[in-house]
Amino acid sequence: MGALGELAAAIGHLAQPMSLFNVAWATLLGMSVGMLPGLTATLGIALLTTLTFRMAAGDAILILICMYVGAIYGGSRTAILLNIPGTPANAASALDGFPLARAGRAGEAMGLATFGSFFGGLVGTLMLALIAPQLAEFGLRFQSFEFFWLAIFGVVISGRLTAMNDPIKGWIAGFLGLFLAQVGQEGIHAYQRFAYGSVDLAGGLGLLPALVGAFGFAEILCVMRQPGYETVRDMGGRVMPRIRDIAARWWTIGRSGVLGTTMGIIPGVGEDMGAWVSYAAARRASRVPETFGKGNTEGLIAAETGNNAAVPGAIIPVLTLAVPGSAPAAVLLAAMFIHGVRPGPLIMIESPSFVFEVAAMLFWASVAILILGLLLTKPMLVVLRVPREHLMPIIFVLCVVGSFAIASRVFDVWVMLGFGILGFALRQMHYPMAPLVLGIVLGGILDKNFRRGMVLSDGSLEPFVTRPISAVLAALTVITILWGLAPVRNTIARLIGRPS
Amino acid sequence: MSETPRADFWFSVAITVLGLGVVAESLRMPRLENLGVHPMSAPGLTPGLIGFVLAGLGVALFLRSLRARTAATSAAAPREAGAGEAATGGRRLLISLVLCLIYAMVLLGQLPFWLATALFVFAFVLIFTWQRRKAAQLAATAAVLAIVVAAAVTLLFEQVFLVRLP
Repeated sequence: MGALGELAAAIGHLAQPMSLFNVAWATLLGMSVGMLPGLTATLGIALLTTLTFRMAAGDAILILICMYVGAIYGGSRTAILLNIPGTPANAASALDGFPLARAGRAGEAMGLATFGSFFGGLVGTLMLALIAPQLAEFGLRFQSFEFFWLAIFGVVISGRLTAMNDPIKGWIAGFLGLFLAQVGQEGIHAYQRFAYGSVDLAGGLGLLPALVGAFGFAEILCVMRQPGYETVRDMGGRVMPRIRDIAARWWTIGRSGVLGTTMGIIPGVGEDMGAWVSYAAARRASRVPETFGKGNTEGLIAAETGNNAAVPGAIIPVLTLAVPGSAPAAVLLAAMFIHGVRPGPLIMIESPSFVFEVAAMLFWASVAILILGLLLTKPMLVVLRVPREHLMPIIFVLCVVGSFAIASRVFDVWVMLGFGILGFALRQMHYPMAPLVLGIVLGGILDKNFRRGMVLSDGSLEPFVTRPISAVLAALTVITILWGLAPVRNTIARLIGRPS
Repeated sequence: MSETPRADFWFSVAITVLGLGVVAESLRMPRLENLGVHPMSAPGLTPGLIGFVLAGLGVALFLRSLRARTAATSAAAPREAGAGEAATGGRRLLISLVLCLIYAMVLLGQLPFWLATALFVFAFVLIFTWQRRKAAQLAATAAVLAIVVAAAVTLLFEQVFLVRLP
């Protein structure tokens, strides 16, 4: 059976009442999380991981994927209605979504965003089913040298793309994450690094408490610091878009779906860039680019298609290389490990059906956002009317319980608090969070593979730069660094005779 | 150019010191030669590399923040228009931080989970909505929310998700 046949079979297999019930409530919860300013997909998945870790692996991963898809989509509501992106991935949606809402076309904008997200999810799911098996096979060629460069490249490209104006800050965040991952017992000789006799530190800094802190507690502090946002009472207009309006944008949807998925595949870049790149491409291709940012429906569709297509895209490297494509995908990766699933190049050998099961989960989650998004447009506005003073203490209680739940260690609560304060400080100084998260996830991979590679080469760095795949990854890393340095960019711009 | 040159200056110093500290600590880690292991698998190798890069990035940020501070000094900075709003935001931030830390580090462990949670939610809602409504109505809202949250979280997590509570 080909990849598409496997996908169809997995979709049919998942169409069980209990699974669909889980899809419905988890997607709805995800949409609510995404709608609330301050709550992100990363936090939603991290908290839900701690709650579902006693469930069967399949059910838990289905719920987490639905939360992921729902949250990325749900953020579009806030972007359209309040001009505040519900999640960072929806920032591009606000550019045209909010002007449409101000023009009394909020309902239409939400309908178009819903269809864009749905089709983005479908394109991404299709690409996942087609690309993941090939990438996993390609990944079998990776040895320690290649995984070392993959970790470095992931942090460097993530730092560059998530801090476009200030890549040094992105790289600092990434390498800080790599360092934090070195705390605790290392994986080769079981030596306790940076533990100083503390049993808790010897166990390492837990990824989930760290993420709950950096994305939960830090966001609570950010939200409480800001002036309150105005709640919405009227959405105006019809929600269901005309078929011809959607059909007329098939090319934008297809292009944004492919671009979004591609951006998702790049380690640590994720949904934000998926949306921005798709938006920029739509603007470049438009006959009326000057209307973008003033309520152009094509811009809104491109952004929403792009960010939801990036979700399956970010899961592709999770499944095939055990390297996350975005911060929420990093949590998903951690959740898979907790549930005994071992993603990586061997996935198509050890459990080949799992890739298609994940694709089927993404498919049903996309169907759920389409149905729930169109049916519950008005009732879901209630979520935006909850005062933040009521919501934030509840979120903090969940952060504390979620941090504690995985290992029943009070130390994890302290880790959450520490990362919350660190995350808040870093945000105030405009450091991106995605490279930090990616660094924490990739720290272990970097450490083991660097030292194994050095042992295999007997201390020589030559294989790190002469093996073909290593050489390509090394070159990409160097190019990314040079591209991030303003003097280099300016020199190249001068040489080719145009401003950088 | 950075929008936060002053913070960048101090943070670059911290990152450089951290990077150098990590390098020094990595050099102090054992090479485990007595166990007959390959010297290139020494535990300090990767942290040393990361510390070195962190220190380098810290120095780069430090040099850039120096240039930015000089530029900022030469151009007289206008007084921020939203100073009052910033002060209010700072107050809200401080109160939130203190309440959260008291709940997580003091109340939990000293009191039963449900009671600590109810007290935290009650205090948080009461303090932040104090000026908006009548005191009695406000206290009633805060108390109802506190009881509902404490009961719901305790029951949901312990009975449905089978999770141990702090």
